[in-house]
Amino acid sequence: MKMIVVFEKAPRLRHIGHLDLMRAMQRALRRSNLPLRYSQGFNPHILLNFAAPLSVGMPGKREIMEVPIEGTMSAEMFKERLSAALPPDLPCLSVHRVDDRHPAPMAQLSAATYEAKLADVPNGLEEAIQRFVAQDEIPAIRKTKTGMKPCDLRPMIYQLSLKDDKLLMTLALCEKATCKPDLLLSSLFEFAQMERPRMLITRLQLLGEEQGVFKPLETL
Amino acid sequence: MNASALERLEMLLEKVQKPARYIGGEMNAVLKPWDSVKIRFAFCFPDTYEIAMSHLGMKILYHLINERSDALCERVCMPDADMADLMRQEQVPLFGLESRNELKDFDIVGFTLQYEMSFSNILEMLDLGNIPVYGRDRGEDMPLVVAGGPCAFNPEPLAPFIDAFMIGDGEEVMHELIDTVRDCKEKGASKKDTLRALAQVEGVYVPSLYEAAYNEDGTLSSFAPIDDAAPAVVKKRVVKNLSNAVYPDKIPVPYTDIVHDRMVLEIMRGCTRGCRFCQAGMLYRPVRERSMDRLLQLADSLQKSTGYEEMSLSSLSSGDFTCLPQLISELMKRYQDKRVSVSLPSMRIDNIVKQSLEETQRVKKSGLTLAPEAGTQRLRDVINKGVTEEDLIRAVTDAFECGWSSVKLYFMMGLPTETDEDLQGIGHLAKKVVDAYYSLPKEQRAKGLRVTCSASVFVPKPFTPFQWAGQDTIETVHEKQEALRQYLKIKCVNFNWHESHLSMLEACIARGDRRIGDVIYHAWKRGCRMDGWNEHFKMDQWLAAFEDCQLDPSFYAYRERPYEELLPWQFIDAGVSQEYLRRENEKAKAGTVTRDCRHGCNGCGLHKWDVCDWVQNPPLKDTDQTSAPIFD
Repeated sequence: MKMIVVFEKAPRLRHIGHLDLMRAMQRALRRSNLPLRYSQGFNPHILLNFAAPLSVGMPGKREIMEVPIEGTMSAEMFKERLSAALPPDLPCLSVHRVDDRHPAPMAQLSAATYEAKLADVPNGLEEAIQRFVAQDEIPAIRKTKTGMKPCDLRPMIYQLSLKDDKLLMTLALCEKATCKPDLLLSSLFEFAQMERPRMLITRLQLLGEEQGVFKPLETL
Repeated sequence: MNASALERLEMLLEKVQKPARYIGGEMNAVLKPWDSVKIRFAFCFPDTYEIAMSHLGMKILYHLINERSDALCERVCMPDADMADLMRQEQVPLFGLESRNELKDFDIVGFTLQYEMSFSNILEMLDLGNIPVYGRDRGEDMPLVVAGGPCAFNPEPLAPFIDAFMIGDGEEVMHELIDTVRDCKEKGASKKDTLRALAQVEGVYVPSLYEAAYNEDGTLSSFAPIDDAAPAVVKKRVVKNLSNAVYPDKIPVPYTDIVHDRMVLEIMRGCTRGCRFCQAGMLYRPVRERSMDRLLQLADSLQKSTGYEEMSLSSLSSGDFTCLPQLISELMKRYQDKRVSVSLPSMRIDNIVKQSLEETQRVKKSGLTLAPEAGTQRLRDVINKGVTEEDLIRAVTDAFECGWSSVKLYFMMGLPTETDEDLQGIGHLAKKVVDAYYSLPKEQRAKGLRVTCSASVFVPKPFTPFQWAGQDTIETVHEKQEALRQYLKIKCVNFNWHESHLSMLEACIARGDRRIGDVIYHAWKRGCRMDGWNEHFKMDQWLAAFEDCQLDPSFYAYRERPYEELLPWQFIDAGVSQEYLRRENEKAKAGTVTRDCRHGCNGCGLHKWDVCDWVQNPPLKDTDQTSAPIFD
């Protein structure tokens, strides 16, 4: 069976890269003494899948990983034992039990919500956002492994709004199309001809799609 | 730190390389409420986080202090150059990783002295913490600055900056130091009175209570206490029973990659071999082993509390541990299912047990490093290394048969009495290692032979038989390096050598006197820091600092000292007597070896201390009579 684990990567750990986070989780799992599954091969490691790596510098409120285990066990028991082994800035929020045939979280992922907390809110930002999203096309240049590539951000923006000092976003995040919040915000402030304020971007939730509706990934 | 400084720190973290070094919050890090204790100790490691977190001594003392209900200990590491510059620019003070409280708010700031070339970092860290670097400039409101570790055995170069040194094993003296400072604080004692109280603790040296005078030729003429509270001789501390000594059952597990990212079991302390160049071998005497029961119990707690996948058995010479095969088998048996590998970083060539090689690689293969130290038997006898070419060839052949194909060989150049023949010998040895590999049938050996030869420059150190020796000049070292490069032009062999200027400076500081403190100050003022890192090392500024102080580096590095000379560290009793060191130096000149003292006591001085169990009952009964003991 597999356990779907929802956890927080607290702001203090935002500078920890994905590989370091993975190692920290593996060590926590080893401390937990849970019945883990290991890979085959010369240097076996714990089987563990993350739904989506977080960019360095970004905290995550509800991140998701999948942990295959041997035998069977209740989600509550799993959560209790894992929680006891986790460091303070990586709390486990909930655990959901699925069987081995359940698709990997990465395969079900389609979008994510983010918030950007702005150090100061430029005048006229709200109005600029409305004009920004009203465009049919939002051309941008994204960095890929093979170089700089032009792309259109518009179809990847599902929601963009300002609430007090926070920009809230729902953006595409899947194998076919990913819109990074950083790229979107650079594009927005350039469009609005405003200086980009200092901000902390947090990933709030990972979403999957069921019959055309976004739902929290762990509930699918 | 106040709220605005904290906010600036967060902004710096966005800009610097490897910000994860500065965040703390690791698993098993201890954050105690600031006001819940009487004494707050900042454990300062004068090098980067990656080095600091790999160091066992810090883990032991961090645990020891935090176990006390009346004290807390936080870690402070040297920020890398980019971070240090930004902290200064943005006025973010140096802080404890756990609470982010600033350095000067701690009661005690304690440095560990592992390496002479990290001394400039001590000044940099104090300054980043807004603490005046010179002890005489620090008022009553400033923390007490203390230091310990192997380099504290010659404390004089740091005497102007450090209020009190702890000499020897830290486990007991640290408690006594904290008790004393706590009592003085409660009584409202002045800094001077606190220091006088500390001077009465065995193993503590308070430099401001002593005075040094010099002859016209620059040598030391006298060194003596100027205060009744200070003893004329400072005796090193020895923890008699290692099994009963404090050892951490949990250690912070870093998020970011560090040099040695694993749990460490210190199986024993000290070494009986008596290599004449080796300072650690002399300082950490006598040998004390931890019991199997205690080690297995510690392994169990550490494995559970860290989740580490590697366990390393640490000591100066792990192969000499009496129960090594039993310990390895037992650990392998217990942890194979948990996929924990066991590694042995300090093995001597003459006792690498083939079984250990086979056992340790069953889970994961680690690199194999061997240290013949010198190229000919003659020179190995001079340094009392006591290993032979046959030992080396047998060890590498075993390793190749067990599936290793990459071997590192460590040598030193510039050892006393060294000639060109000894350098050629290094080439011959490397060639024989290559031949040993090719003599195995192709299907019995792993592909891709790599033999890496490293040659460091010999640095004479205090409390070794070579403490009187002159170091090779930089010109001589360059010639020797060039010659070695020619001798090591062998297929599959790489040659690494060390920065000779750095070794020369290390020699100056290692055997320096009080005046070297001012050189360190001037070098630091001229921008020197992180000297152990090639990219930051500025030899020209160090030489200029010597000129600023009108001191000559060759006086400290190159000069051979006569036996009559008063040495700056002679007021410290390290257990190993000056007579023994002199005797060993004479035997070195004659090329005579001294037996491993497990075969019988050699009378090094510690036999008078009642700390060495093996004086009366040497564990190896096959009485090797290569040298009859001379007791004084």
